Amino acid sequence: MSLRPYLAYAKKIFLNRSAYRFDNVMGIISTCLQFFIFWEIYKALYGTSTDIDGITMPMVTTNFILSMGLGAIFSPDDYFLPSKIWDGSIATEFLRPISFKGRMIAENVGNALFNLLFRFLPCLIIALFTVGVNAPASPAMLALFVLSAVLGFGVLWTISFAVQMTAFWLINIWSLITIKNVLINVLSGSMIPLWFMPRELTAILNFMPFSSVYFTPVQIYLGQLSFEEIMLKCGIQLAWIIVIYLLGDILWRKGQKKLIVQGG
Amino acid sequence: MINFENVSCRVLKSISLNIPKGETVGLIGKSGAGKTTLIKLAGGLLAPESGRIFTLGKDPVENRNLYREKISVFIAGTPLLCRDDTVSQGFEIIRSVYGISKSDFAKRYEALSARLSFSKYGSEPVKNLSLGERMRAEIGAALIYEPELLILDEPNIGLDENAKFVLGQLLSERRGAGMTTLLSSHDMASVPKICSRIALLDKGELVFYGSTESLRSRYTPTNTMSLKIEGRLPDLEDLPLEKYSINGSAISLSYNSNHVTAAEILRTVLRQTAVSKVSIKKPDLEDLISKLRGSKNEFY
Repeated sequence: MSLRPYLAYAKKIFLNRSAYRFDNVMGIISTCLQFFIFWEIYKALYGTSTDIDGITMPMVTTNFILSMGLGAIFSPDDYFLPSKIWDGSIATEFLRPISFKGRMIAENVGNALFNLLFRFLPCLIIALFTVGVNAPASPAMLALFVLSAVLGFGVLWTISFAVQMTAFWLINIWSLITIKNVLINVLSGSMIPLWFMPRELTAILNFMPFSSVYFTPVQIYLGQLSFEEIMLKCGIQLAWIIVIYLLGDILWRKGQKKLIVQGG
Repeated sequence: MINFENVSCRVLKSISLNIPKGETVGLIGKSGAGKTTLIKLAGGLLAPESGRIFTLGKDPVENRNLYREKISVFIAGTPLLCRDDTVSQGFEIIRSVYGISKSDFAKRYEALSARLSFSKYGSEPVKNLSLGERMRAEIGAALIYEPELLILDEPNIGLDENAKFVLGQLLSERRGAGMTTLLSSHDMASVPKICSRIALLDKGELVFYGSTESLRSRYTPTNTMSLKIEGRLPDLEDLPLEKYSINGSAISLSYNSNHVTAAEILRTVLRQTAVSKVSIKKPDLEDLISKLRGSKNEFY
């Protein structure tokens, strides 16, 4: 199997994205706007106190910048499969001598790279010069943060993959995708840092796939986790990737079979 | 190349069909006759409810990934080129997917894009093209990796006469290089010109499968011949003609091509007199096909 076609797909998406300059500028503004709104709310909530349960305002700020920044990078195309089912091109996709899932990953990675360079970095620079961001706990933690962020992307991608596969039966899955996105936003700590969730809920959330998308990398970055805890958390991320992927893969196989029996 | 053994699926009722290598088979029939179903079955996009199918000697559903470079399937309405890409971007993706070298591909692209005349909008996004422009580019995309087997569903949609002619030319050239083609169409006028064999579907049944010539001789054996005579009129009584009429020096006669050939008639005439003009008219396959479809019971 050659990697070349997949690189071509990734490159194509990257180039297609750069064609829409206005959209890119607005994307940067919307990410910053979202961040500053949340930042203002939490600043007001903190008032004059320096920390709440040991969580300081700079930590909250860093959480938002990192999780929203990662959120801006990780935007899997939730309509990749549904749109191909709608226009029937799924049939011709099956006939290509390449892996459909591989192509899906390639396009998402191309998109993520574009977002990293032209959305995350500009927003990070703006944040650095306005509100300031905590430095990573140590270079080692920064490296582990990157590793965990990549795994987080994997979790997010497999969730999107599994949800999209339901389109073989449900055709229109806008509502499912919306529910998925709300769950991720609320339960991953990108809206409400998980420090502020009730203790019982946090205990459950720690083992859910959602928190491992954004909150695990942020905790590592801030140096809140010991090495053993990091290994455990990354293990949880990996476990979720495998479990959700296998689930999505079952749907993928059944969906293909359904298409072949009933027609596209 | 393609073998159907007693295949039933949806509207199709126990179809048996064998398409040998190097043939160009035209699949015709009314809407709902099962043309696209047959095309999808042959391409492995649909599994038969009963019966067996072999494409390139293998079950096309089970072996979908094993021979994808060898087959090209184009179904009108389902795009081969991504809407957001420019035409040349779409072709570049095809190049890398099928692993064709850059120089080879550039040559093929240049030739195809010139002949199907889509070279001038190579940098245009596919979504901005008109139907005819897009179809020409998509047909180019289906042909460019030079498959052994080409399956086209309604390739004539949106094509003007010139483009239809070019498509026919391309298919016959590729046929010379050993490519097998199965194409479906509503376009009765151009299919017999493009194809070496015709498969006629009616309400899910294969009512005719054979060469365009045998279709002609089986169902419309009557040809007409017009002669302009110089000198004395010939005696035609010994020929097994259906009828003839003489008007001055012009003779018009009709004959059954299964009973007598044009050569025999001409030989008889020339033995007796001189002829200045000959024209032979065969019945239009288009008429024939619509007749066949319109009144099936007359023939079966």
